[in-house]
Amino acid sequence: MGKVAPLKRHRELGLAALIVFVTLVVSSFDLGFLATGNLRDMMVRCAPTAIVACGMMLVIVTAEIDISVGSLMALTAAAMGIMLSEQHWNLSLWIGVPATLLLGAGVGLTTGLLVTVGKVPSIIVTLGLLTALRGATTLIMQGRNIGGLPTSLTRAAKEGYGGVPIGVWVACSVLLMTYVIIAWTPIGRRVFAVGSSRYAAAMCGLSERRMKLFAFCYTGFLTALATLVEVPRLPKIESGIGLEFELLVVTCVVVGGVSITGGRGTLLGVILAVILMTMIRPVLTFLEIGEQAEKWTNAIQGMFIAVAVIGDSLLRPPNRGGSSA
Amino acid sequence: MSRLRGSNFGAWHELVLLGLLVGLLCVAGYLMPGFLSLRSQLFLSRHLWEFAILALGMTLIIVAGGIDLSVGSAMGLCAVAFGMTFQATEQIWLAIFACGLTGLFGGLLNGALITRFKLHPLIVTLATYAAYRGIAEGISQGQSYSRFGDAFSQLARATWWLIPIPGYLFVGLAITTALVLARSTIGRQIYAIGHNSEAARFSGVAVERLRLGLYAFSGLLAGLATVIYVSRFDTAKADAGKGFELDVITAVVVGGTSIYGGRGTVMGTVIGLLLIHETRLFVGRYWRVDELKSVVVGLLLIVSVLVYQAFMRRATGSRH
Repeated sequence: MGKVAPLKRHRELGLAALIVFVTLVVSSFDLGFLATGNLRDMMVRCAPTAIVACGMMLVIVTAEIDISVGSLMALTAAAMGIMLSEQHWNLSLWIGVPATLLLGAGVGLTTGLLVTVGKVPSIIVTLGLLTALRGATTLIMQGRNIGGLPTSLTRAAKEGYGGVPIGVWVACSVLLMTYVIIAWTPIGRRVFAVGSSRYAAAMCGLSERRMKLFAFCYTGFLTALATLVEVPRLPKIESGIGLEFELLVVTCVVVGGVSITGGRGTLLGVILAVILMTMIRPVLTFLEIGEQAEKWTNAIQGMFIAVAVIGDSLLRPPNRGGSSA
Repeated sequence: MSRLRGSNFGAWHELVLLGLLVGLLCVAGYLMPGFLSLRSQLFLSRHLWEFAILALGMTLIIVAGGIDLSVGSAMGLCAVAFGMTFQATEQIWLAIFACGLTGLFGGLLNGALITRFKLHPLIVTLATYAAYRGIAEGISQGQSYSRFGDAFSQLARATWWLIPIPGYLFVGLAITTALVLARSTIGRQIYAIGHNSEAARFSGVAVERLRLGLYAFSGLLAGLATVIYVSRFDTAKADAGKGFELDVITAVVVGGTSIYGGRGTVMGTVIGLLLIHETRLFVGRYWRVDELKSVVVGLLLIVSVLVYQAFMRRATGSRH
């Protein structure tokens, strides 16, 4: 543990330095980058990714993966729309919101059960759900977009409280909650224990199954929560919501220094990576290199992952992982 | 032999899949007369060949314990390389060559990152998944290239004895890959790496070189699949092959290849491909609801592995 700690700090320092550097460069071109309006926009953009990344981090720390969150976002968005829209069931917020959250948690729990009880590898389960949930979404939306969400919901998502949209508040609370879980509760320590060595954890009497169920269920719940704060900002609900969202979230978690083989990672790293990844597009816009630049967003995102993991590999002490020539 | 995790199980799994496929075809033929006619089957299989070719490389990679998420994006990059070369030189052969070379290079880069820096294949190919598509979008700036001449567009469309040309290409590749995997030393070594790469290394298998080769092969196949794709649409654009990686992995896994490596056959993959293809066709044409297809295929993937795991556990006591 002591050997790994400085490495972790390297990662967070590196990310923070990169964010500061990019911010300085861009604001020297155009001070508008630091204007309150723009900063607020960027925080709003970060919010859904940050919320789901908290859950994904726990899943990856237990050495599993969940690539179905994008499709789950679409499914919960469609369910939310049908329940709350005045053109459909027009239910009260007090029923619709908990039901949406329950749906997300339920799908997460199902994933967890298939992984732990069914012994199906998580990448297979969530690959299947990635396809199936997207199909289910288009089925229940019947090719039509859903509009007419209650104004209280859309107003909270767009304007929010104290000038800050509700998504940012929710993201902050989720980060705080996840931090508390990881740092101060036994659950957090058990999640890391299961991820670093399942056999050692089992010998200590920890239930691998329960920890993984918790991580998947939490991720499903957070995905539904992200949907609730993000989707009402959009003009209408389409079936394409959340396409490739899972890849963005996994990217952020990996760039944030969470080991894909489990047991290692910090929340701070993940948050910094989320900020860095969401900055790419606004930065390209602000640099005013023209339309051309935005087409490179994907390439830059890929480069960040490559640099992050290669850096890890070069900094890795020789006795960890690189045991062979 | 018995160490290669239950070759009996492999055969058993293939038989079950084959049984499912035959059952599905019988039901489909009974419910929809004309579904089984050779002509309609061949007509409906036009887009199958690109997937099928990619699935061969993916089978080898997954058997060796790896994964390649970047094949679809590599196709985008290959398509752009194809289009730009053709625009610059007007030579179709040069364009095909550039396309293959780009694929090969993309695969080599994946393999080099994985073996040189000892990185997890999932992460490396997630990075190149974003990067290849991004580079393709960046250098082509969303432009699409077309009009490659009639002769070239016939490549994917022309038939010889009822079967389209890409079909022969696939059958040739599939037989070669199957022979290499099942009958050659390299094939044995691939299973050994997937089963336990440390043990394979100590037994004198050139693990890193072989893995590098597998990713390069997968990249080369992506280039080849792009040539067929471009020929079929007569258009080369950065969005070629979008989402292919997931369909290909689904087919390989339904075909009985273990995502942990060490188990799987080319025959299984071919049957998995056909099973998914026919399921899609049947569901799409019988209920006439396109969205239902992805629900059924997604559930098919989960259930096939779930059932397999349940049987494995019963047969071997407690197998992870």
